[in-house]
Amino acid sequence: MTDVTNTALSDSATLQEQKRKEAYFTASQLQLIWARFRKNRSAMAGGVVLLALIAMGVFAPFLSPYDPTIAGRDPTYQNGAPQIPYFWDDNGFSLRPFIYSYERERSIKSNFRWVSKVDKDKRRYVRLFVTGWEYYVIDVDVDFPGKTFDISFRMFKSNLHLFGVDEGKIHLFGTDSPGKDIFSRTLHAIYTSLAVGTIGVFISFVLALVIGGVSGYFGGMLDSVLQMITDAVRTVPAIPLFMALAAFVPDEWSAELRFLFISIILGLIGWPTLARRVRTHLLTERSQDYVLAAQLCGASPSHVIRRHLLPSFTSYIIVDLVISFPYMVLSETALSFIGLGLKDPVNSLGVMLQNVTKTDVLLNYQWYFIPVIFFMALVMAFVFVGDGLRDAADPYSGHK
Amino acid sequence: MLQFGQFVVTRAFMAVVTLLTVSFIVFTLMELVPANCAERYVAFKNTQGGQITIADIEAEERRMGLDKPYALRWASWVGNVFFRGDFGESCILRVGINQLLGQKFWISLGLCLTALVFAYAIAIPAGILSASSNNATLNNSIRFFSYLGLAMPNFLLALMIMLFSTVVFGDSLTGLFSKEFRDAAWSYDRVMDFLSRAWLPIFILGWSATAFALQTVRALMSDENGKLYVTAARARGLSGRRLLWRYPARHALGPIINSLGFDLNRVFNELPIVALILVLTESGALLIEALARSNDQQLAGAIIFMLTASIVVLNFVTDILLAIIDPRVWRSIMGGG
Repeated sequence: MTDVTNTALSDSATLQEQKRKEAYFTASQLQLIWARFRKNRSAMAGGVVLLALIAMGVFAPFLSPYDPTIAGRDPTYQNGAPQIPYFWDDNGFSLRPFIYSYERERSIKSNFRWVSKVDKDKRRYVRLFVTGWEYYVIDVDVDFPGKTFDISFRMFKSNLHLFGVDEGKIHLFGTDSPGKDIFSRTLHAIYTSLAVGTIGVFISFVLALVIGGVSGYFGGMLDSVLQMITDAVRTVPAIPLFMALAAFVPDEWSAELRFLFISIILGLIGWPTLARRVRTHLLTERSQDYVLAAQLCGASPSHVIRRHLLPSFTSYIIVDLVISFPYMVLSETALSFIGLGLKDPVNSLGVMLQNVTKTDVLLNYQWYFIPVIFFMALVMAFVFVGDGLRDAADPYSGHK
Repeated sequence: MLQFGQFVVTRAFMAVVTLLTVSFIVFTLMELVPANCAERYVAFKNTQGGQITIADIEAEERRMGLDKPYALRWASWVGNVFFRGDFGESCILRVGINQLLGQKFWISLGLCLTALVFAYAIAIPAGILSASSNNATLNNSIRFFSYLGLAMPNFLLALMIMLFSTVVFGDSLTGLFSKEFRDAAWSYDRVMDFLSRAWLPIFILGWSATAFALQTVRALMSDENGKLYVTAARARGLSGRRLLWRYPARHALGPIINSLGFDLNRVFNELPIVALILVLTESGALLIEALARSNDQQLAGAIIFMLTASIVVLNFVTDILLAIIDPRVWRSIMGGG
């Protein structure tokens, strides 16, 4: 009796084993990568953080209680400290979180800086799903110089926001010198960084694919010349080169146009590393039999590259894209920080950090630095996910 | 030996070709900037009072040789740079660029190279340690540090250090010289003063280069550690530091030397921004000045070219160095046996 159950058990075990093996052997490359990626804990954690940050960026208008531009400033709370919602205090417990009311005053005691005096007896309760400033859920608006050609694409007007307070305003991360809400600005800055990175990565990806593809597929003289150019571009330090290019931007351009231009510049400079990788892959792959077979069938070079060669290393390219993403974000931040990148109405980390080297800020308004934490998290998440993807995409990584 | 000479000459030739390409790119960029040098100078004069006319601009253009064709101007620029080491005049300041840059460039190059040495002095032992030890805490902390180096760009680190030191010490630690030494001639005291302040920029400049180098060293060492010759050496009874230095570390050395040039590139990337934050007065700061405030393309072009040239030179030196320690490098290229 026990024997029978044992064999049955082992049968089902072997069956399961077989199924598992079958699933493994028939799995597509994507499934394999996902299976390996899932085992990497730091990469998964990075992925979760990354998704959360992307969601924060995409839904920035909904999540932020106030307009991040000068229109949404709070003139009664300039350079105000972060207000942390409480659930209880000496006056008792409240299920609805609240912040305190305050009085602003300045006198000789505070060196004529505005300081707020918290009034603990007056509570302001936090409410969910309040109506506030109006925004568009989809909002693409670029004003090119001249009147002939502008891009304006707006949809789904809304004024619903996740939270707010019943009277006055709430500033989770405090406010800056004109009274703009730093929390709202941070969320919008995440969106900007993601957008700049996406456009930049896309452009450098297309350039790398074309240049690396041509260079690797045709080889010979063309390859040598293209390699020489790629190497030369790669040797020039990128940030000084960015700065030189960004200095082209005329001051009278609109903020959105500047934004587009900066992303394009980032893309135009970022391609050499990726182009080299594409070339190396193509050089090794193009002597394979299947390429020869395709050529003998009369396929054109572009067909061979697109249909046969590219799919052979798509996963590597995706990994490279994810890895190069944070460098785009950081370059943009650096450029904006020195005043050559994005400018005020557009929010980005660099723009937000522009004034922080003043001693006044360093000594008195340290909450200007809160956004830095989010950006480190963003970059770290990208690095972790990129590393995890690289390991997962490499079929030999498990054997080391 | 003859072949080795040939190798050196080929490499030198390639370096010169790269420099020419770079000079062309830089020169073209500087040409594409809206408004040329003459217009800019005359417009600048205009702000000092005085009228400008088209004729003024044209006269100025002729004086600067801007009416000549593009290729000719490039050739004369490159010629001056290569044969006389002369970058011409700054657009706005009307001072020779060599005079303007001179010492500042060497100070920045010195800072950057020191930062690079510092980066590798930390990265090599730490990387080897992390690749070959089984201590999980140590490994994880080294990994964490190197990820932090990647995620926190140098200028954010500089900001954080400023924030910290202002809050704690009440001094923001900026500048390369104290007040009394800023314009003094070089002397023992000035050097000491410089050294007492230069450590912070060097540390900050080396920060992310250290993180990158650490990752490179770690990856190389763990690749080499798994190879059979290491197992064989271990079987012969070698162990510990002797084994590491004698076998895998020597193999990993090649790629590390190779990556030096790109690390210098990385340090140069950080230079202008760190210079801005720490209120340094070397060529990185001058670059920002030239680009952000006055749009001085002559000066900016010269600085970018000089930075790139030092990378090219370093790449050349590392190539030769690599060939000396590993004869396979030049033998494979020159086809000798």
